Amino acid sequence: MKFNLAFAIESLPLILSALWTTVWVTVASCAGAALLGFLLEIARRSSRAMSYVMRFVIDFIRSTPLLVQLYFLYFVLPFYGVTLPSFVVGIMGLSIYYSGYLAEVFKAGIDGIPVGQFEAAQSLGLKRLDVVVFVIAPQMLRNIAAPMGNYFVSILKATPYLAIIAVPEMLGEAMEIASDTFRYAEPMLTVGVVFLVLAVAVAQLVRLLEMRLLKSAKR
Amino acid sequence: MQVDALIGSRCASQRSEAAVDIVSLNKWYGTFHVLRDVDLRVEPGQQIVICGPSGSGKSTLIRCINQLERHQRGQIFIHGCEVSPKTRALHELRRDVGMVFQHFNLFPHLTVLQNCTLALRRARGIARQEAEDVARHYLERVRIPEQMGKYPSQLSGGQQQRVAIARALCMRPKVMLFDEPTSALDPEMINEVLDVMIELARDGMTMLCVTHEMGFARKVADSIVFMDGGRIVEQAPPLEFFANPQNERTRTFLGQIL
Ligand SMILES: Nc1ncnc2c1ncn2[C@@H]1O[C@H](COP(=O)(O)OP(=O)(O)OP(=O)(O)O)[C@@H](O)[C@H]1O
Ligand SMILES: [Mg+2]
Repeated sequence: MKFNLAFAIESLPLILSALWTTVWVTVASCAGAALLGFLLEIARRSSRAMSYVMRFVIDFIRSTPLLVQLYFLYFVLPFYGVTLPSFVVGIMGLSIYYSGYLAEVFKAGIDGIPVGQFEAAQSLGLKRLDVVVFVIAPQMLRNIAAPMGNYFVSILKATPYLAIIAVPEMLGEAMEIASDTFRYAEPMLTVGVVFLVLAVAVAQLVRLLEMRLLKSAKR
Repeated sequence: MQVDALIGSRCASQRSEAAVDIVSLNKWYGTFHVLRDVDLRVEPGQQIVICGPSGSGKSTLIRCINQLERHQRGQIFIHGCEVSPKTRALHELRRDVGMVFQHFNLFPHLTVLQNCTLALRRARGIARQEAEDVARHYLERVRIPEQMGKYPSQLSGGQQQRVAIARALCMRPKVMLFDEPTSALDPEMINEVLDVMIELARDGMTMLCVTHEMGFARKVADSIVFMDGGRIVEQAPPLEFFANPQNERTRTFLGQIL
């Protein structure tokens, strides 16, 4: 079968019909993963006991395959009476899986903040939460914008996994076209190009964010 | 004085009227005994200068006062309130104790003005407009005129340290702690910071100041404390301290730095 460019372009609208799903599942998962990862890292720093517990949790999350986690959430939870829409399961799965990695990134970002910053914040009488939100988090983000951005791109590229739990994202659409027409090359190439464009866009956004964060100081 | 009343009522024990009262304080880092039976009393409005050789425990001592370091034995009272590793709501006590660090420790992601208003807004719950007015007042006092919108990295060391002093003053602390505030500065910037500190002393701020600036000590200190090996070896008013040091180690030390 010869590659048919016209067919590749023809498959674009159908694939793009799932663009929104991919985009917002990605955005929600990035937010979820960052938030959860940050909480894991903050919890890990809260006490000696928590540091062991959270170390284990983070390692556990990182050492089990994403697909296993997704299947677990999707097929096993209903046995215990928890039935969630597939896209919720998908966002949860991506959030949990990548929170383990982001927690590690955040750790490096927080380790890079001079201890004097914590001390100055404490000596002003700020509450712990305020120290985290107003002093630690912004400086951490500045330290780690680039590696965090890489994981955001990874999350985008992991959304096709959600096809297996019937989230109507782009790869799923491409597969449907393929199985209807028995032509794989064109829809796969198209979906690949769309992902490429999205990935470049995410990377650019992260770069903008980084520049904004760095504007204040060249330390 | 409303604030005093509030804080007084929160204290379990109104042990003494001193601004800071340190009673046989002992601290260990692991097995290393850094502070040995330190007693120190600072009356409101007094200025105390602490000096001593490197490693004698000066920083550790003043950092125990706001519990950046925890002590194992002895007691510390700030205006009658005991401060200890067990103190709940430490952050509330710290609001009344300003601290200035050797390396300024300004928040690099915030402007000068935001550095000064952060704790006012988040810890004192003061509205933005009012907090900025307070910050402007203290920034003027430390002679940081038109730099309020700049970031710390855009200022010289001397300016940064004066902002750090203003940031602490904004909280209207009852006690100010200084840990070698001028020793990270280029020589030509030391005086601009010392001048601000001298003014502060003249205005009656209670100050504990670790420094080797003996000219400053002579000018403002009510009493100079000399530490060595985790102990207060000698404490005397400046005239006496310089003219007639009692302890052998004080004499050696003064011989080295004067
Ligand atoms: N976190 C720590 N763990 C172990 N030992 C420490 C720690 N901090 C300080 N020390 C030790 O405690 C002693 C006192 O330290 P401290 O910083 O209080 O001295 P200092 O009088 O302020 O000296 P300097 O003039 O160099 O600042 C030093 O011997 C130091 O090595
Ligand atoms: Mg020191």
